[in-house]
Amino acid sequence: MTDTDVSADLGDQDQAPQLVPLNAIFATDFVQILVPVTTANTMAEVAAAVAYHVEGKRVRALPHPKVVIYHGEKMPAEMTVAEAGLKPLDHVTVEYDIPEGS
Amino acid sequence: MALLKREEWQGFVRDVDWSYRYVDDEAVYPEWMSGTGKVPREAWLAWEESYKVSYPEYVATQREKEAAVYAVKAALQRSSAFDTLTEGWKSATKMHFGGVALVEYAAVLGELKMARFGLAGAWRNMATFGQLDEMRHAAITTFFGHEFVGKDAQYDWTQKTFHTNDWVAISLRNLFDAMINTSNVVDIAIELPLTFETGFTNLQFVALAADALASGDVNFANMISSIQTDEARHSQQGGPTLEILVEHDPARAQWVVDKAFWGSARAFSALTGPAMDYYTPLEHRKQSYREFMEEWIIDQFVHTLEQYGLKKPWYWDEFLRGLDIWHHSLHMGLWFWRPTLWWRPMAAVSPDERAWLVEKYPNWEQVYGDKWDVIIDNVNNNNVEATLPETLPWLCSTCHLPACNATQSRNGTWRVRDVQLDYDGRIYHFCSNGCRQIFWKDRDNVNHQTLIDRFLAGQIQPMDVGGILGYMGLTPEVMGDDPDYEAWTKDYAGRPAEGIAAVAQS
Repeated sequence: MTDTDVSADLGDQDQAPQLVPLNAIFATDFVQILVPVTTANTMAEVAAAVAYHVEGKRVRALPHPKVVIYHGEKMPAEMTVAEAGLKPLDHVTVEYDIPEGS
Repeated sequence: MALLKREEWQGFVRDVDWSYRYVDDEAVYPEWMSGTGKVPREAWLAWEESYKVSYPEYVATQREKEAAVYAVKAALQRSSAFDTLTEGWKSATKMHFGGVALVEYAAVLGELKMARFGLAGAWRNMATFGQLDEMRHAAITTFFGHEFVGKDAQYDWTQKTFHTNDWVAISLRNLFDAMINTSNVVDIAIELPLTFETGFTNLQFVALAADALASGDVNFANMISSIQTDEARHSQQGGPTLEILVEHDPARAQWVVDKAFWGSARAFSALTGPAMDYYTPLEHRKQSYREFMEEWIIDQFVHTLEQYGLKKPWYWDEFLRGLDIWHHSLHMGLWFWRPTLWWRPMAAVSPDERAWLVEKYPNWEQVYGDKWDVIIDNVNNNNVEATLPETLPWLCSTCHLPACNATQSRNGTWRVRDVQLDYDGRIYHFCSNGCRQIFWKDRDNVNHQTLIDRFLAGQIQPMDVGGILGYMGLTPEVMGDDPDYEAWTKDYAGRPAEGIAAVAQS
């Protein structure tokens, strides 16, 4: 890396947000959908973007927080798309994070 | 002098397999068109159709069929029969006209290719009749649909569908381009006449003819019954071709049959499944789509496989499980994305209709009832807006239909699971394992781009619902909508409805 290589010096959070189209499924919905997000979006925002198309429209809304599941792992709500390493055309599932025993 | 009997002269005029003096055989029957593969060239000379016909006999029979079908049409044109048809049945016919008319034309091209590049005189002779059949089918289907354009602009899509980038049209073009336009004639004979026509068109033509009669559409029943009478003759091109291929290259024979059956099953689940289990009025349904598939398709297909010494396809269990899922999910998808259709899809989920669905498909309520209930509650709370799409369904990279096939978990719940493939630097998603496997084995083929691919490549502008509908050729007078929301929601009116979308503030 050289002093003139400015972009390489920038962290993820300093770069212009890039579009990341995702293949997403919301909970018990019947179909995968296209949901565009950006590298700057948090997982909470991704969950909301996916839920927007389905929750209360085909899947009854529940009073629980929503969580993004990527490669089988629950992703922290504040983590960004860039930090999580989500790539264009990746698949995510959004589920209700229902507490045990409720 | 007495005329010779047909069997005494037909061989002379049919078996015109000349010896070439100025070109070699490869120049006349190039491998990429004729596709003999591992089969010795001379083996094809044993090709023999079981049901023989001469040209004068063909013309006489076809003339009678045409006269009969047009006489019925002319008589019914003066009646008010069309006005008495239900919107559901009209939708089934619009879907059929748009989805089938130009597939018949594609079949003309397939038959012509076999008439030119088929590897035996008898085969080329039969394909010549086949192309005349398919020309008749393309013409009759277009003509019968065209009659109604003045009454309903959606019938204009009889001719228009295949010239658009509507997602249903892309899906069908992808299937038939692979089956017909890009295949060699050996593969065509097995994919089109044997698997698609012998295997599946019975479903569309026999089953739908029964539903047409029950729905009072004598004209439509008359048309498709007339078409079906041709299939029995030209579809026999598949049998002799498969017999020779199985003997010399059984692995290829198995693969071609497996692939064509899967692609056909996916397409029929989108078109025939919703027409039979939802659009046909409840009192007129003869059998469920599943029952028709079991009686008319599966038994016969398994019998054909055994007859030729082939095995059941590798995906057989997945296919059988799909009989309870594929077409129900696609019906919900067609309904939710209804502005993208050239017909008016009925949801058809009133209590009586749901009771019928559960009787035929015991898991139906568990898999679909909750989602239809949310949709019903939105309609009953004056929020139809919440039942309209604002993004695209993900389309499978093989069949181009929405990725919407739920499977059951060990704990009994049903979920749509992602089936993906990382290949050549990108991620592909599929509706099923069957579609992924076919994509993988055929990965060197050039596939159509899905609507998602086109959207993400910036080919669709503006990148919103309006842009997508415009790209697909939908105009406001044609865009599909439910013809009667009240019919299937009124019995649920007034019930408590929690967890539904808020009405958008305008």
